[in-house]
Amino acid sequence: MTLLQGEIGKSYQVQEIRLQETTARRLQILGLLSGTRVEILNKKKNGTLIFKVRGTRYAIGKRIAEGILLGGEQP
Amino acid sequence: MSVHVAFVGNPNCGKTTLFNAYTGARLKVANWPGVTVEKKEGAFRYHNQQFKLVDLPGTYSLTSYTMEEKLARQYILEDEVDVILDVIDASCLERNLYLALQLIELGKPVVLALNMMDIVQERGMEIDTHRLPEMLGVPAIPVSARKKTGLDVLMHTVAHHAENGRDIFPDHHHGNKESTHIHDHHKEFVMVYGDEIEDKIDGLQARLLEAYPDIVNPRWHAIKLLENDEEIMRKYPIPLEDILDRSYETDIINQKYDFIEEVIEECLFNKNEKSQRTDRIDALLTHRIWGLPVFLGIMAMVFFFTFTVGDWIKGWFELGLDWFSDGVGHLLASAHINEMLQSLIVDGIIAGVGGILTFLPNIFILFLALALLEDSGYMSRVAYVMDGIMGKLGLSGRAFIPMLLGFGCTVPAVMASRTLEDPKDRLKTILITPFMSCSARLPIYVLFSSMFFGKYAMVAAFSMYVIGLGVAILTALAMQRLGKGGGKYNLLIELPEFKRPSAHTIFIYVWEKIKDYLTKAGTTIFLASIIVWALLNFGPGGMVEMGAQGSFGAMIGQTLAPLLSPAGLGYWQVVVSLIAGIAAKEVVVSSMGILYGISNINSAKGMETMVAALAASGFTGLNAYALMVFCLLYIPCAAAIGTIKKETNSWKWMCVSILFQLGVAYLMAVLVYQIGSLFFS
Repeated sequence: MTLLQGEIGKSYQVQEIRLQETTARRLQILGLLSGTRVEILNKKKNGTLIFKVRGTRYAIGKRIAEGILLGGEQP
Repeated sequence: MSVHVAFVGNPNCGKTTLFNAYTGARLKVANWPGVTVEKKEGAFRYHNQQFKLVDLPGTYSLTSYTMEEKLARQYILEDEVDVILDVIDASCLERNLYLALQLIELGKPVVLALNMMDIVQERGMEIDTHRLPEMLGVPAIPVSARKKTGLDVLMHTVAHHAENGRDIFPDHHHGNKESTHIHDHHKEFVMVYGDEIEDKIDGLQARLLEAYPDIVNPRWHAIKLLENDEEIMRKYPIPLEDILDRSYETDIINQKYDFIEEVIEECLFNKNEKSQRTDRIDALLTHRIWGLPVFLGIMAMVFFFTFTVGDWIKGWFELGLDWFSDGVGHLLASAHINEMLQSLIVDGIIAGVGGILTFLPNIFILFLALALLEDSGYMSRVAYVMDGIMGKLGLSGRAFIPMLLGFGCTVPAVMASRTLEDPKDRLKTILITPFMSCSARLPIYVLFSSMFFGKYAMVAAFSMYVIGLGVAILTALAMQRLGKGGGKYNLLIELPEFKRPSAHTIFIYVWEKIKDYLTKAGTTIFLASIIVWALLNFGPGGMVEMGAQGSFGAMIGQTLAPLLSPAGLGYWQVVVSLIAGIAAKEVVVSSMGILYGISNINSAKGMETMVAALAASGFTGLNAYALMVFCLLYIPCAAAIGTIKKETNSWKWMCVSILFQLGVAYLMAVLVYQIGSLFFS
């Protein structure tokens, strides 16, 4: 599944980032790496969503959310 | 000897607040050479030690992807920076440590300022401030820029550290105890990578030293080469193929974060990620349904205060100006000063500059509101809230931030478009931002709507903002249809914790803007007033009577007037003020004052005279509205054009932007006047 398919209020583990290099790099610099835990806080109908990684909130567009692949749900 | 300190840190880490806490309002704001990134410099004295402080742009890392990052890195490497002061938001230590590790790798003395310690305590978290410096090999001083605690200790440490260089040696095991690496890097460097990367660093370092014996910090350059950093690869071309089979950037980032996790494990306790205040506020502000209405409500309030409260204070300013203008007039007359000089001072300078100064309260309130929106952390939520709507225009929600800033001033708004990744998105945003009505246009609306629209004045003025927004949206849509938009609208923006805005930061932000406005009044508007005055008093036949036919001004105006008559603006006085308004939009108002010989155009008496003069020539409310629309849409000002040229780095796009704005302004004004004439004639 991708971050876009995640549910509000649940946490997941990032498995892989499949995005254009510069976008992927920016996310990695913010600490979004394979194995990192992310929590989805809010989501809009058009796919824009807010998630939290390493204690900081970010808003991302649908296209980026689609490129972040998640492993299983985390408690 | 002054200690040269560079302030570096992530965006939203409170760096500027800390910087301001030391320098106060005594700072010098300029641009970095060649680019429009702001450079802030200030001086500070502590215990007979002079400090030179430089505020570098906020960045998440020191790669060479953005202009800000390149600047920060070059400045630190090449300039005579004595100490790097890394401002860290201690309430999100983990991410902030990434930049810290990169800064430490640069090899210059680094001091960490653990900012926002008050928030850390509020949330019940604890940071081991003894273990942290041990693991990182640099001092870490807890401070709170907002509460001004720890400031002296921090500067003391900076001064001490500048003298002694590195006096803490890192003490940590760094995970890989089984390293077979021959060197004991752990004693020397804070960040040590896995064996594969360390071997490659050694290899590259040797090669760099061979080719460039004078290279400073070869280890850092070697790491950058491993990351395939374009700039360094260009600057230090050495054969790499046998060592560098791919980019190791991902590995390097991963290993840095592995180390950061170790540091967090040992130094941060009661890691409480729940920040209930922000969650509660966000529940409303980024609500699925309520987010947008709340935003629109906030903006409506901003404009309501700008017009009502601003106008109320403005009334007092006008009384003062009246009194001043009369006083100066009498004084000059009684001192028997040359009549031409009297006219220049009273009809030219006071009428022009003074008329503009009375708008200070409106502009003050507008900028105060924008400062509050920015400093509280709301601005980035707007990007989230607007992302869907902006997506329909082919732009990311982030593009809305420059547009919103455009209500204040087009110049910083155009600069803010730099945060957009896609060049096409940037260009599009730069083209539409000037349609957002800036504060310099406000005097025009206030003057003409209070002269012609009586109790509907506020509605008329507010409608300009709506028309501007509408034109911006239509332009973006048209570009989207023409396929000129990037369409890869990728929003990625940090939503910082909500915080009570710092009064000091707000004060300095607003003061900077007010200072700009006053400077503009004292320079651009001052000069434009003199030029307009001269154009009106002199003609080919020498000095003529003020405002009369035969002056240069009248000649220019009369030549161009027929062109503008379909828009109801075929008056030579209007044409002259519109041309003068390219210097700065406020000049439209100041010129009108000079043109009609009114010393205080905003006072009731001044307005009456003006309305009478205009009405005599057939200029009605409809003409006034067409004029307001034209002023809203045509070229913002010379400074904005200069900024567009710099930001797009292209003469072509600058010209496109100028012609487009003139065309749209003309078209809209003609439409308003022609359609309006059908109803009101």
